[in-house]
Amino acid sequence: MNMDEIKYSLNNLIHRRMRSFLTVLSILIGVMAIFAITSFGLGIKNYVDVLAQEAGTDKLYIEAKGIGAPGTDNTFFISKDEVDFVSKINGVKEISGLYTKPAEIRFGKERKYYFLSGLDISKIDFITEVFNSKIMKGRQLKKDEMGKVTLGYLYQFDNKIFKKAVKIGDKVEINENQLEVVGFYEEVGNPSDDGNIYITDKQMESVFPEIKNKFGVVMVSAQKGVDPEALADRIKEKLRKYKNEEKGKEDFFVQTFADAFATFNTIINVLNGILGLIALISVVVASVNIMNTMYTAVLERTQEIGIMKSIGAQKADIIFIFIFESGFLGMLGGIVGVIIGFIISKTGGLIAAASGFTFLRPIFPWYLIVGCILFAFSVGAIAGIFPAVQASKLKPVDALRYE
Amino acid sequence: MLRDYFVFVLNNLKSRRLRSWLTMIGIFIGIAAVISLIGLGSGLRAAITGQFGFLGTDVLSLQASGLASAGLPGTAVANPLSDTLAAKIAKVPGVEAAINRYLKSGTLEFKNKQEIGFAMSMPEGSNRKIVETMLNLKTAEGRLLKEGDNRMVLLGNGFTNPDIFPGGIHTGNQVLISGISYDVVGILEKKGSFIFDNAVLINEKTLLKDFGDDGTVNAISVKVKDERTIGKVKENIEKLLRKERNVKVGEEDFSVETPQKALQSLDSTLFAINLFVIIIASISLVVGGIGIMNTMYTAVVERTKEIGILKSIGARNSMVFQLFFIESGLLGMVGGIVGVILGLILAYGLAAAGRALLGVDLIQAKVSLFWIVFSLIFSFIVGLVAGLVPAYNASQRNPVDALRFVK
Repeated sequence: MNMDEIKYSLNNLIHRRMRSFLTVLSILIGVMAIFAITSFGLGIKNYVDVLAQEAGTDKLYIEAKGIGAPGTDNTFFISKDEVDFVSKINGVKEISGLYTKPAEIRFGKERKYYFLSGLDISKIDFITEVFNSKIMKGRQLKKDEMGKVTLGYLYQFDNKIFKKAVKIGDKVEINENQLEVVGFYEEVGNPSDDGNIYITDKQMESVFPEIKNKFGVVMVSAQKGVDPEALADRIKEKLRKYKNEEKGKEDFFVQTFADAFATFNTIINVLNGILGLIALISVVVASVNIMNTMYTAVLERTQEIGIMKSIGAQKADIIFIFIFESGFLGMLGGIVGVIIGFIISKTGGLIAAASGFTFLRPIFPWYLIVGCILFAFSVGAIAGIFPAVQASKLKPVDALRYE
Repeated sequence: MLRDYFVFVLNNLKSRRLRSWLTMIGIFIGIAAVISLIGLGSGLRAAITGQFGFLGTDVLSLQASGLASAGLPGTAVANPLSDTLAAKIAKVPGVEAAINRYLKSGTLEFKNKQEIGFAMSMPEGSNRKIVETMLNLKTAEGRLLKEGDNRMVLLGNGFTNPDIFPGGIHTGNQVLISGISYDVVGILEKKGSFIFDNAVLINEKTLLKDFGDDGTVNAISVKVKDERTIGKVKENIEKLLRKERNVKVGEEDFSVETPQKALQSLDSTLFAINLFVIIIASISLVVGGIGIMNTMYTAVVERTKEIGILKSIGARNSMVFQLFFIESGLLGMVGGIVGVILGLILAYGLAAAGRALLGVDLIQAKVSLFWIVFSLIFSFIVGLVAGLVPAYNASQRNPVDALRFVK
């Protein structure tokens, strides 16, 4: 293993320029696909992790069971009494029941359907912390304020929710109630949450009298030093007894935010893994191509191998030359693949952000970049093993005679 | 003449056996991946859309607008449909019947185990027969619901599964539905559809009495007299509803759809996901194509002398071109054939393994002839395209230079 052998390998690659180019091209395509898919996957995971951290690991929520999203089904709910009961459980720091219902919002002649939440403004600091989204323009609602509404981020722009942007002071109609817009929330990053509508709990009770004191979701935070998992179990147990339900027949569930995010992350990881595996198929094909190229190279250079051996080259030298050559092809493919993959991901991320999916933001940690290049190198080197061993086994006399 | 070409080409491929095999492996891995993903994808699509398999071509479904994906039909809506509408719709010319459909969620308890689900209403009178036909209700045991059945329930086949309720629920058992005791009168045939196999059917009167009646319905099913007039009937119903709900054209807060139409959007979403996966899998086909191109370039270089000899004894440019062109097309096609066979085995094998492991009927493989023929032609084309430039280069060699060429 010395510089001469490396130089010899590189010269050969340049000599067969077209073939080297095609081989590098075949591996770079696969690496590019894997790099792009993984960078998006890691980006989403990162987004969720940040969200989980900012919302706080001390938070948990109680949700009524039922079919569909919270608020669509009023058969099961958490009542005001139950919320008061839970608030007295040891370890509960703050608690707030959330009214939520799908609602129709009209602006001008257009109708759209989004989730409407009724907030208890006396708990607004806690709620803001859980939502992890603040008012960016205008003001927050006041306690028990009627006739006013705050909207998600996307309403402020033309052609996002409505054709025309909504402005502070505009009137919108929510389920036939004329309300004045007083504020907008900052961006959450997905079109569903950024289309949310918020009113006070009192206003909510006047829009939907039938849901008074019936909450779909209740948000809870644990006191300092209290393990939220243990608190969740305690709430589940005590609330079950309070509601007089048998074990295993609860019509509600309690989950920590950390758990909910972990579940979400698992789903993302599985999806990402499947896509990555499918993209991996092309790397397998590329490795077959590299092997093919190397077999051809061995065949073409049989005489050269004979000469090298007859002037004293060892088996190991020959193996090194060919494995280095194929590994180098792989690494080159890896480097170019990462560069092109980076460009694709960046562009894809910008397009997604422009469509309201800001959470689809790819990230490029160093281990992804290095990992992809190393991976491509190993694929190349492994694909070169068989041809290299074959080359090393050639008998110098036969090899010199070969035509 | 063409036969001679093929013999020549086959001999060439055989003399470089290892390289030909490696080249074809590239193609058949790609084709096998695409075929198996198409197979599993379209099987899954058929299974999912089949879940809603109550499609008649003479039926319209009416719903209020809302967040359709958020819950049961008619729950995530802003302004629900009133239960007085059906009677008015029934009078629209061309309508045979308009039937209120109620869905109520609740708990079902049997032998101390409880599940959450929803109950569907069975209408009374002449409409009962229509809904039975529309939903194609047949019993595996017991009987269908009949007029005057109070606190009687007809259950989907899934409830007989002993893994969900101890011993399974059968005709004659009593179940608690949201705390009220009901007699099971019958079990529906197994349909392989999540919705029907978990159906809980209760007579409308009982359902409204036990679950409460707020004057709204989840949906209205409309049966038309003649399916050829369905478009016209749909327009008339829309006109009536606009008047009833006081909305202008283009501002409708309700939808009148044929069930097929309602399924289309779900189907197109599934198709888009499927397509995305297939595109990623197709990348490997492109890589396989590059492999063919590489092999062909090498072949041209190796056989430069042969090309010189062929030309010097009178072969035309076009003949040399065809020789190499056929060779690369053949590599692609043979790779394609093997790939299709492997892909079919993979798709059906994976689906069977999935069914055995998870016990879900949902996982089905389905490969249409179209996709098989398409992949064969596609792999042949990949081979041809990959061979185009190398074959052209070969055909343009000057015979004198080619004869003199030293490797």
